[in-house]
Amino acid sequence: MGLFTTLGIGVRSLLAEQGANEVTANNVANLNTPGYTRQRPLLTEGDPFVLGPLTLGSGVVFGQPQSVRDAVLELRLHDETQQQGRSDSSLVALQQVQTLFTESSGDLGTRLADLFARINDLSANPSSVTLRQALLTSASNLAGTFNNISRQLATQRRNLDLNVEQGVAQVNELSAKIAGVNQQITALENVHQNAAVLIDQRTVLLRDLSQLVDVRVIDTGTSIAVTTSTGTALVAGGQSFALAARIDPSGTDHIFAGTQDITAQLTAGSLAGQIAVRDQSIPGLLQNLDGLASALSTAFNAAQATGFDLNGQAGGNLFSVPPVGSGAAAAITVTLADPLDIAASSDGSPGSNGNLSAFAAIQKQALVSGQSPQDFYSGVVFQIGSATSQASAESEASGLILRQLSDQRAAESGVSLDEEAANLIRFQRAYEASARVVSTVNELLSTAVNLGKF
Amino acid sequence: MRINPTPLPDLLAALAQTQLQQQTALQQIASGRRVQVPSDDPAAAAVLVLNHAGTTATTQFLHTVSNLAARLQVADSTISSVVLAVQRVLTLGVQAANGTLSNSDRASIATELRGLQQQLVSLANTSFQGTFLFGGTASLAPPYVADALQASGVRYDGNANTNSVQVGDSFSLAVNLPGAQIFQNAGADLFQGVHDLAAAVTANVGIPAALAQVRAAFDSISAQRVFFGNALQQLDSQQSYLNNAKLQLAQQENTLGAADLAAASSDLVTAETARNAALQATSSLLHNSLFDFLK
Repeated sequence: MGLFTTLGIGVRSLLAEQGANEVTANNVANLNTPGYTRQRPLLTEGDPFVLGPLTLGSGVVFGQPQSVRDAVLELRLHDETQQQGRSDSSLVALQQVQTLFTESSGDLGTRLADLFARINDLSANPSSVTLRQALLTSASNLAGTFNNISRQLATQRRNLDLNVEQGVAQVNELSAKIAGVNQQITALENVHQNAAVLIDQRTVLLRDLSQLVDVRVIDTGTSIAVTTSTGTALVAGGQSFALAARIDPSGTDHIFAGTQDITAQLTAGSLAGQIAVRDQSIPGLLQNLDGLASALSTAFNAAQATGFDLNGQAGGNLFSVPPVGSGAAAAITVTLADPLDIAASSDGSPGSNGNLSAFAAIQKQALVSGQSPQDFYSGVVFQIGSATSQASAESEASGLILRQLSDQRAAESGVSLDEEAANLIRFQRAYEASARVVSTVNELLSTAVNLGKF
Repeated sequence: MRINPTPLPDLLAALAQTQLQQQTALQQIASGRRVQVPSDDPAAAAVLVLNHAGTTATTQFLHTVSNLAARLQVADSTISSVVLAVQRVLTLGVQAANGTLSNSDRASIATELRGLQQQLVSLANTSFQGTFLFGGTASLAPPYVADALQASGVRYDGNANTNSVQVGDSFSLAVNLPGAQIFQNAGADLFQGVHDLAAAVTANVGIPAALAQVRAAFDSISAQRVFFGNALQQLDSQQSYLNNAKLQLAQQENTLGAADLAAASSDLVTAETARNAALQATSSLLHNSLFDFLK
């Protein structure tokens, strides 16, 4: 035990407080850094030394600063980010789709109602060429609306397809980055260095990846592995495995891991949401529209065939014959060019309106799925409306959960300026006191050195 | 327990939420509609599709009713004129049957009868907006044409068919009577009667028989005329029914789709208050940490 020991304690204490201040400064500096977890300076007592009957402390040791991180909470955040990725992306897509079914002067419901109104109008004056022309115009408006909606749905499908392609590219980029960070972390940890900063970076990357696909993070002890929830490997330690987007026979991009098609296996993340709208919602709507368009053209053509036009000839087709299978909504057109060719007459006389009752009856006819055309269309509006409102409710709910989890994470790992300010003062005062210890020891030493002088 | 030291994201989310509420309320007030897109209320949106289809159909039925009423009124008043003319024919016939008339008197009566015959034919050829009212469904050409080959001197080119028009969801109305049925019932052929009467008056032979046919035609026409009166009456009551139905549809639309303006305004005020409070909280929080108090 001697003055030099005391000096040693003082100097180590100066360094420790300085180090603690550096940690504080780093915390403050990273206040707004995404993914940053606050660090705590690790101050421990120095090993005691025994001096005869005495055991004395040897001052403070400044250890590796520790990141304050809750790994389980981070996993929950990844999970919920995936849920939100899915509900948000499908909400955005469905909101675009539902504008096509929103009531306006030109929506399908209005067009249908108008066509039946024109039929009634004509029945009061069946030989009027003006009213016949109005009926033809209304019919081609209806056909045009079918074409337009089906074209726009196809466009939205294509856009979603592009999104999927870009999403897959992003997934690959993120997987590669995560693998790279994994390598750096392993390298640092092998030489017992602190990899906290890199782990923060990796967490941010994992969160970005969760936005896109449903991933599971598996701690392998030495590193992490990332797979999709159904087990397709994306990252294993320092290695990443790229997914591929390839055009499927159906004409849309499917996601492949090697040769395996994993498109249908994705259950969360924005890719899953986009794929669900692309492969289920939009095709479902198109199928319904095709059914309606096809049944309407068949019914109107059949009605035309039972009557006679203004010239007493048997009526020809009003609409184009629907294609077998899908595509009726895209293909439907009015093939009748001459308003005189509308088969209003049931007896061949130009003034007869008898056959128009066959046209008017279509309004009440069980045309598609046992429903009248307008009932069926009303069901389609309900279908898209409730899908959108459900996606909206899910997005709101997962947004709320995500905010609560983020709150919890911030409570655990976020930098508090109050805390850092208090620490700054604490470490500053300790530094001042240590400095005083050093200068006091210095005075004592100079007293001791001067003992022999006279 | 440590609390979240950076509540800014929460506050921003709260601000966004209040802003969304404000926008929703403002949109409702501006448009007067609660259901703007199907997802606002899918069930109501689906019912509104049917409601608007019903409104369009009802409006169209009302339009058709007034169209038909105009046409039937013309037909009805044409028949009135026919009745007046036939009454004159009967008067002349009775006069001519009086044996005291001179040849020249009867000749002038016969001339007037032929004139009346022409008038009756032209009445039977009355058209409305380009279509002939009494030709059955062959309504694009005049139904009665002068034809010397016919016993009565006129030929019926129309047919015996009728049109009926839908003027309600499940209500159709017959809207015409073929001329043959009005003017030319068996044993009560008006044109034959008048034609025969004129000839009988000229010849002073067989006047009573001809007169009997005209009288029978007169009775038949009077009986048929009821059809038009009935149809007009039915259209009239259908019109008030349709107006009522339209009102009910409008009320249903209002209940389903219209914004509750009082609620929307109060939502707007609530959202504004919440927004101001959130803004205030955010601003006070932004400059408030221990650092501000350390000198």
